[in-house]
Amino acid sequence: MHLTDDQLNEYLDDESSEHDAIKTHLDSCAECAARFSALQTLFAKLDSLPDTALSTNLAARFLPDRKQIPQLPRWLTLTISLQAVGALIALALAAPFVSMLLPQAPSLTAWLFEIQTLWIAGLDAISNYQLPIAQLPTYPVEISTLFIALAIVSVFWIFGNGFLLRNQRK
Amino acid sequence: MNAPTDRDLILRARRGENTAYSELVTRYQTSVFNVCYRILHNYFDAEDLAQETFIRALDRLHTFDLEREFSPWVRRIAANLCLNHLEAQKPSAALDEDRDEDKTQSPAEQVEVKERSEQIRAALASLPPHYRIVIELRHYQELSYAEIAAELNIPLSDVKSHLFRARQLLAEKLHAPD
Repeated sequence: MHLTDDQLNEYLDDESSEHDAIKTHLDSCAECAARFSALQTLFAKLDSLPDTALSTNLAARFLPDRKQIPQLPRWLTLTISLQAVGALIALALAAPFVSMLLPQAPSLTAWLFEIQTLWIAGLDAISNYQLPIAQLPTYPVEISTLFIALAIVSVFWIFGNGFLLRNQRK
Repeated sequence: MNAPTDRDLILRARRGENTAYSELVTRYQTSVFNVCYRILHNYFDAEDLAQETFIRALDRLHTFDLEREFSPWVRRIAANLCLNHLEAQKPSAALDEDRDEDKTQSPAEQVEVKERSEQIRAALASLPPHYRIVIELRHYQELSYAEIAAELNIPLSDVKSHLFRARQLLAEKLHAPD
Protein backbone atom coordinates (compact mmCIF):
# COMPACT_ATOMS: atom_id res chain seq x y z
CA MET A 1 0.00 0.00 0.00
CA HIS A 2 1.37 3.42 -1.00
CA LEU A 3 1.57 6.66 0.97
CA THR A 4 -1.10 9.29 0.34
CA ASP A 5 -0.29 12.81 -0.87
CA ASP A 6 -1.37 14.14 2.51
CA GLN A 7 1.10 11.86 4.29
CA LEU A 8 3.94 12.97 2.01
CA ASN A 9 3.10 16.66 2.44
CA GLU A 10 2.88 16.39 6.23
CA TYR A 11 6.13 14.43 6.34
CA LEU A 12 7.96 17.05 4.29
CA ASP A 13 6.45 19.84 6.38
CA ASP A 14 7.68 18.07 9.50
CA GLU A 15 4.11 17.91 10.80
CA SER A 16 3.57 14.16 10.58
CA SER A 17 2.82 12.03 13.62
CA GLU A 18 4.00 8.90 11.77
CA HIS A 19 7.42 10.18 10.78
CA ASP A 20 9.38 6.97 11.33
CA ALA A 21 6.86 4.74 9.56
CA ILE A 22 6.84 7.03 6.49
CA LYS A 23 10.63 7.15 6.41
CA THR A 24 10.81 3.36 6.49
CA HIS A 25 8.24 3.10 3.74
CA LEU A 26 10.09 5.62 1.54
CA ASP A 27 13.29 3.58 1.90
CA SER A 28 11.58 0.51 0.49
CA CYS A 29 9.03 1.85 -2.05
CA ALA A 30 10.45 3.30 -5.28
CA GLU A 31 7.09 4.69 -6.43
CA CYS A 32 6.49 6.66 -3.23
CA ALA A 33 10.14 7.76 -3.17
CA ALA A 34 9.71 9.19 -6.69
CA ARG A 35 6.58 11.11 -5.64
CA PHE A 36 8.41 12.33 -2.56
CA SER A 37 11.33 13.47 -4.71
CA ALA A 38 8.98 15.41 -7.03
CA LEU A 39 7.50 17.18 -4.01
CA GLN A 40 10.98 18.00 -2.74
CA THR A 41 11.81 19.50 -6.14
CA LEU A 42 8.75 21.75 -5.88
CA PHE A 43 9.86 22.87 -2.40
CA ALA A 44 13.33 23.64 -3.76
CA LYS A 45 11.88 25.68 -6.63
CA LEU A 46 9.76 27.75 -4.25
CA ASP A 47 12.78 28.27 -2.00
CA SER A 48 14.88 29.40 -4.95
CA LEU A 49 12.68 32.39 -5.70
CA PRO A 50 14.94 35.42 -5.20
CA ASP A 51 13.95 38.61 -3.41
CA THR A 52 13.17 41.54 -5.69
CA ALA A 53 14.80 44.89 -5.03
CA LEU A 54 12.60 47.76 -3.94
CA SER A 55 13.13 50.91 -6.01
CA THR A 56 11.68 53.40 -3.52
CA ASN A 57 12.43 54.03 0.12
CA LEU A 58 9.24 53.39 2.08
CA ALA A 59 10.86 54.75 5.24
CA ALA A 60 10.86 58.31 3.87
CA ARG A 61 7.17 58.66 4.60
CA PHE A 62 7.72 58.06 8.29
CA LEU A 63 10.50 60.61 8.69
CA PRO A 64 9.54 63.94 10.29
CA ASP A 65 8.72 66.78 7.90
CA ARG A 66 11.90 68.76 7.23
CA LYS A 67 9.88 71.98 7.15
CA GLN A 68 9.04 71.54 10.81
CA ILE A 69 11.18 73.19 13.46
CA PRO A 70 14.38 71.17 13.62
CA GLN A 71 15.05 69.42 16.88
CA LEU A 72 18.09 70.68 18.77
CA PRO A 73 20.91 68.22 19.36
CA ARG A 74 20.62 66.35 22.66
CA TRP A 75 23.83 67.83 24.10
CA LEU A 76 22.64 71.38 23.33
CA THR A 77 19.23 70.78 24.90
CA LEU A 78 20.94 69.44 28.03
CA THR A 79 23.37 72.38 28.17
CA ILE A 80 20.59 74.93 27.81
CA SER A 81 18.54 73.23 30.54
CA LEU A 82 21.51 73.19 32.90
CA GLN A 83 22.25 76.85 32.14
CA ALA A 84 18.63 77.78 32.91
CA VAL A 85 18.74 75.93 36.23
CA GLY A 86 22.09 77.59 37.08
CA ALA A 87 20.75 81.04 36.22
CA LEU A 88 17.70 80.53 38.46
CA ILE A 89 19.91 79.45 41.39
CA ALA A 90 22.24 82.46 40.84
CA LEU A 91 19.23 84.80 40.72
CA ALA A 92 17.85 83.43 43.97
CA LEU A 93 21.24 83.79 45.68
CA ALA A 94 21.83 87.30 44.31
CA ALA A 95 18.40 88.75 45.13
CA PRO A 96 19.20 89.77 48.79
CA PHE A 97 22.45 91.45 47.73
CA VAL A 98 20.76 93.39 44.94
CA SER A 99 18.15 94.73 47.38
CA MET A 100 21.01 95.81 49.72
CA LEU A 101 22.80 97.61 46.88
CA LEU A 102 19.65 99.41 45.77
CA PRO A 103 18.03 100.62 49.01
CA GLN A 104 16.39 103.59 47.27
CA ALA A 105 14.55 101.38 44.80
CA PRO A 106 10.79 101.28 45.41
CA SER A 107 9.51 98.18 47.13
CA LEU A 108 7.70 95.42 45.31
CA THR A 109 4.39 96.57 46.81
CA ALA A 110 4.91 100.06 45.36
CA TRP A 111 5.63 98.56 41.94
CA LEU A 112 2.48 96.42 42.10
CA PHE A 113 0.44 99.44 43.18
CA GLU A 114 1.79 101.44 40.23
CA ILE A 115 0.88 98.64 37.80
CA GLN A 116 -2.61 98.36 39.30
CA THR A 117 -3.17 102.13 38.93
CA LEU A 118 -2.12 102.03 35.28
CA TRP A 119 -4.37 99.01 34.64
CA ILE A 120 -7.41 100.72 36.19
CA ALA A 121 -6.74 103.91 34.23
CA GLY A 122 -6.55 101.88 31.01
CA LEU A 123 -9.84 100.11 31.76
CA ASP A 124 -11.52 103.47 32.52
CA ALA A 125 -10.33 104.88 29.21
CA ILE A 126 -11.71 101.86 27.34
CA SER A 127 -15.07 101.96 29.12
CA ASN A 128 -15.50 105.72 28.47
CA TYR A 129 -14.58 105.49 24.79
CA GLN A 130 -17.54 106.14 22.53
CA LEU A 131 -17.70 104.76 19.08
CA PRO A 132 -18.61 107.27 16.35
CA ILE A 133 -22.25 106.76 15.51
CA ALA A 134 -22.59 105.56 11.97
CA GLN A 135 -25.43 104.15 9.93
CA LEU A 136 -25.18 100.37 9.89
CA PRO A 137 -25.21 98.97 6.36
CA THR A 138 -28.37 97.24 5.27
CA TYR A 139 -28.13 93.75 3.86
CA PRO A 140 -30.32 92.46 1.08
CA VAL A 141 -30.95 89.32 3.17
CA GLU A 142 -31.97 88.76 6.76
CA ILE A 143 -29.26 88.40 9.38
CA SER A 144 -30.66 84.97 10.36
CA THR A 145 -30.22 83.79 6.75
CA LEU A 146 -26.62 84.96 6.86
CA PHE A 147 -26.06 82.96 10.05
CA ILE A 148 -27.58 79.85 8.50
CA ALA A 149 -25.38 80.27 5.41
CA LEU A 150 -22.35 80.73 7.65
CA ALA A 151 -23.25 77.56 9.57
CA ILE A 152 -23.57 75.56 6.32
CA VAL A 153 -20.23 76.86 5.05
CA SER A 154 -18.65 75.92 8.41
CA VAL A 155 -20.01 72.38 8.16
CA PHE A 156 -18.61 72.05 4.62
CA TRP A 157 -15.30 73.48 5.79
CA ILE A 158 -15.07 70.94 8.63
CA PHE A 159 -15.95 68.01 6.36
CA GLY A 160 -13.56 69.28 3.68
CA ASN A 161 -10.73 69.38 6.19
CA GLY A 162 -11.68 65.93 7.40
CA PHE A 163 -11.41 64.52 3.88
CA LEU A 164 -8.11 66.28 3.31
CA LEU A 165 -6.67 64.83 6.51
CA ARG A 166 -7.98 61.39 5.63
CA ASN A 167 -6.38 61.49 2.19
CA GLN A 168 -3.15 62.76 3.66
CA ARG A 169 -3.16 59.82 6.07
CA LYS A 170 -3.52 57.44 3.13
CA MET B 1 28.30 52.51 18.70
CA ASN B 2 26.01 49.47 18.42
CA ALA B 3 22.94 49.75 16.22
CA PRO B 4 19.74 49.96 18.29
CA THR B 5 17.78 46.72 18.60
CA ASP B 6 14.30 46.34 17.14
CA ARG B 7 12.95 46.43 20.67
CA ASP B 8 14.62 49.81 21.35
CA LEU B 9 13.28 51.19 18.10
CA ILE B 10 9.76 49.95 18.83
CA LEU B 11 9.78 51.52 22.30
CA ARG B 12 10.99 54.82 20.86
CA ALA B 13 8.44 54.64 18.04
CA ARG B 14 5.69 54.09 20.61
CA ARG B 15 6.77 57.34 22.24
CA GLY B 16 6.23 59.07 18.89
CA GLU B 17 9.78 59.16 17.56
CA ASN B 18 9.36 59.10 13.79
CA THR B 19 13.02 58.48 13.09
CA ALA B 20 12.91 55.26 15.14
CA TYR B 21 9.97 53.89 13.17
CA SER B 22 11.57 55.00 9.93
CA GLU B 23 14.66 52.97 10.89
CA LEU B 24 12.43 49.91 11.46
CA VAL B 25 10.84 50.43 8.05
CA THR B 26 14.28 50.68 6.44
CA ARG B 27 15.25 47.36 8.04
CA TYR B 28 12.21 45.40 6.92
CA GLN B 29 10.85 47.13 3.83
CA THR B 30 12.47 44.71 1.38
CA SER B 31 11.18 41.58 3.10
CA VAL B 32 7.70 43.07 3.52
CA PHE B 33 7.68 44.22 -0.09
CA ASN B 34 8.65 40.73 -1.24
CA VAL B 35 5.80 39.16 0.73
CA CYS B 36 3.44 41.47 -1.17
CA TYR B 37 5.16 40.91 -4.49
CA ARG B 38 5.05 37.12 -4.18
CA ILE B 39 1.34 37.22 -3.42
CA LEU B 40 0.25 39.99 -5.79
CA HIS B 41 2.77 39.61 -8.61
CA ASN B 42 2.35 43.29 -9.42
CA TYR B 43 5.22 45.60 -8.53
CA PHE B 44 3.28 48.80 -7.91
CA ASP B 45 0.46 47.12 -6.02
CA ALA B 46 3.09 45.37 -3.90
CA GLU B 47 4.78 48.69 -3.16
CA ASP B 48 1.46 50.26 -2.15
CA LEU B 49 0.53 47.32 0.05
CA ALA B 50 3.98 47.32 1.67
CA GLN B 51 3.52 50.99 2.50
CA GLU B 52 0.04 50.25 3.84
CA THR B 53 1.49 47.41 5.93
CA PHE B 54 3.86 49.76 7.73
CA ILE B 55 1.06 52.27 8.34
CA ARG B 56 -1.10 49.50 9.84
CA ALA B 57 1.82 48.21 11.89
CA LEU B 58 2.42 51.70 13.28
CA ASP B 59 -1.25 51.97 14.25
CA ARG B 60 -1.06 48.62 16.04
CA LEU B 61 2.41 49.05 17.49
CA HIS B 62 1.04 49.43 21.01
CA THR B 63 -0.43 45.91 20.74
CA PHE B 64 2.86 44.34 19.65
CA ASP B 65 4.30 41.84 22.11
CA LEU B 66 7.88 42.95 22.77
CA GLU B 67 8.91 39.39 23.59
CA ARG B 68 8.31 38.41 19.97
CA GLU B 69 10.18 39.35 16.82
CA PHE B 70 9.04 42.30 14.77
CA SER B 71 9.80 40.85 11.33
CA PRO B 72 7.37 37.86 11.37
CA TRP B 73 4.69 40.07 12.89
CA VAL B 74 4.90 42.74 10.21
CA ARG B 75 5.17 40.15 7.42
CA ARG B 76 1.98 38.50 8.63
CA ILE B 77 0.22 41.86 8.54
CA ALA B 78 1.44 42.20 4.95
CA ALA B 79 0.16 38.74 4.00
CA ASN B 80 -3.27 39.46 5.47
CA LEU B 81 -3.50 42.82 3.74
CA CYS B 82 -2.59 41.19 0.42
CA LEU B 83 -5.23 38.52 0.93
CA ASN B 84 -7.86 41.19 1.60
CA HIS B 85 -6.63 43.09 -1.44
CA LEU B 86 -6.89 40.02 -3.67
CA GLU B 87 -10.36 39.19 -2.42
CA ALA B 88 -11.54 42.73 -3.11
CA GLN B 89 -9.88 42.84 -6.52
CA LYS B 90 -11.31 41.86 -9.85
CA PRO B 91 -9.78 38.61 -11.12
CA SER B 92 -8.39 40.22 -14.29
CA ALA B 93 -5.80 42.42 -12.59
CA ALA B 94 -2.69 43.04 -14.64
CA LEU B 95 0.34 41.07 -13.59
CA ASP B 96 3.91 42.18 -13.84
CA GLU B 97 6.73 40.97 -15.92
CA ASP B 98 9.30 39.56 -13.61
CA ARG B 99 11.95 41.89 -12.22
CA ASP B 100 14.30 39.40 -10.64
CA GLU B 101 17.88 39.95 -11.58
CA ASP B 102 21.15 39.55 -9.83
CA LYS B 103 23.85 41.96 -11.00
CA THR B 104 26.62 39.61 -9.81
CA GLN B 105 25.66 36.95 -12.35
CA SER B 106 26.62 36.74 -16.00
CA PRO B 107 24.01 37.93 -18.51
CA ALA B 108 23.22 34.31 -19.49
CA GLU B 109 22.74 33.32 -15.84
CA GLN B 110 20.61 36.39 -15.24
CA VAL B 111 18.33 35.43 -18.11
CA GLU B 112 18.04 31.90 -16.75
CA VAL B 113 17.25 33.07 -13.22
CA LYS B 114 14.76 35.57 -14.57
CA GLU B 115 12.98 32.95 -16.66
CA ARG B 116 12.86 30.47 -13.80
CA SER B 117 11.63 33.10 -11.35
CA GLU B 118 9.04 34.32 -13.80
CA GLN B 119 7.76 30.76 -14.18
CA ILE B 120 7.43 30.33 -10.41
CA ARG B 121 5.84 33.74 -9.88
CA ALA B 122 3.39 33.16 -12.73
CA ALA B 123 2.46 29.79 -11.25
CA LEU B 124 1.93 31.39 -7.83
CA ALA B 125 -0.13 34.20 -9.35
CA SER B 126 -2.39 31.68 -11.07
CA LEU B 127 -3.48 30.20 -7.71
CA PRO B 128 -6.68 31.30 -5.98
CA PRO B 129 -6.02 33.88 -3.19
CA HIS B 130 -6.47 31.40 -0.31
CA TYR B 131 -4.01 28.97 -1.85
CA ARG B 132 -1.47 31.74 -2.44
CA ILE B 133 -1.65 32.89 1.13
CA VAL B 134 -1.06 29.43 2.64
CA ILE B 135 1.92 28.91 0.34
CA GLU B 136 3.32 32.28 1.45
CA LEU B 137 2.79 31.58 5.15
CA ARG B 138 4.15 28.03 5.01
CA HIS B 139 7.05 28.31 2.56
CA TYR B 140 8.25 31.90 3.00
CA GLN B 141 7.22 32.73 6.54
CA GLU B 142 7.68 29.16 7.81
CA LEU B 143 4.57 29.04 9.96
CA SER B 144 3.26 25.70 11.23
CA TYR B 145 -0.15 24.40 10.18
CA ALA B 146 -1.59 25.45 13.55
CA GLU B 147 -0.11 28.95 13.27
CA ILE B 148 -1.52 29.37 9.76
CA ALA B 149 -4.94 28.22 10.98
CA ALA B 150 -4.81 30.77 13.80
CA GLU B 151 -3.56 33.53 11.51
CA LEU B 152 -6.23 33.02 8.86
CA ASN B 153 -8.90 31.99 11.34
CA ILE B 154 -9.71 28.79 9.44
CA PRO B 155 -9.79 25.13 10.59
CA LEU B 156 -6.60 23.10 10.51
CA SER B 157 -8.19 20.75 7.97
CA ASP B 158 -8.69 23.72 5.59
CA VAL B 159 -5.05 24.73 5.97
CA LYS B 160 -3.96 21.25 4.95
CA SER B 161 -6.37 20.94 2.05
CA HIS B 162 -5.51 24.42 0.71
CA LEU B 163 -1.80 23.83 1.07
CA PHE B 164 -1.73 20.37 -0.49
CA ARG B 165 -4.03 21.39 -3.34
CA ALA B 166 -1.96 24.53 -3.96
CA ARG B 167 1.21 22.43 -4.20
CA GLN B 168 -0.50 20.03 -6.56
CA LEU B 169 -1.50 22.91 -8.84
CA LEU B 170 1.96 24.45 -8.65
CA ALA B 171 3.59 21.13 -9.50
CA GLU B 172 1.30 20.72 -12.51
CA LYS B 173 2.20 24.20 -13.77
CA LEU B 174 5.90 24.02 -13.05
CA HIS B 175 6.49 20.49 -14.29
CA ALA B 176 4.33 20.86 -17.36
CA PRO B 177 6.31 20.91 -20.64
CA ASP B 178 6.50 24.37 -22.30
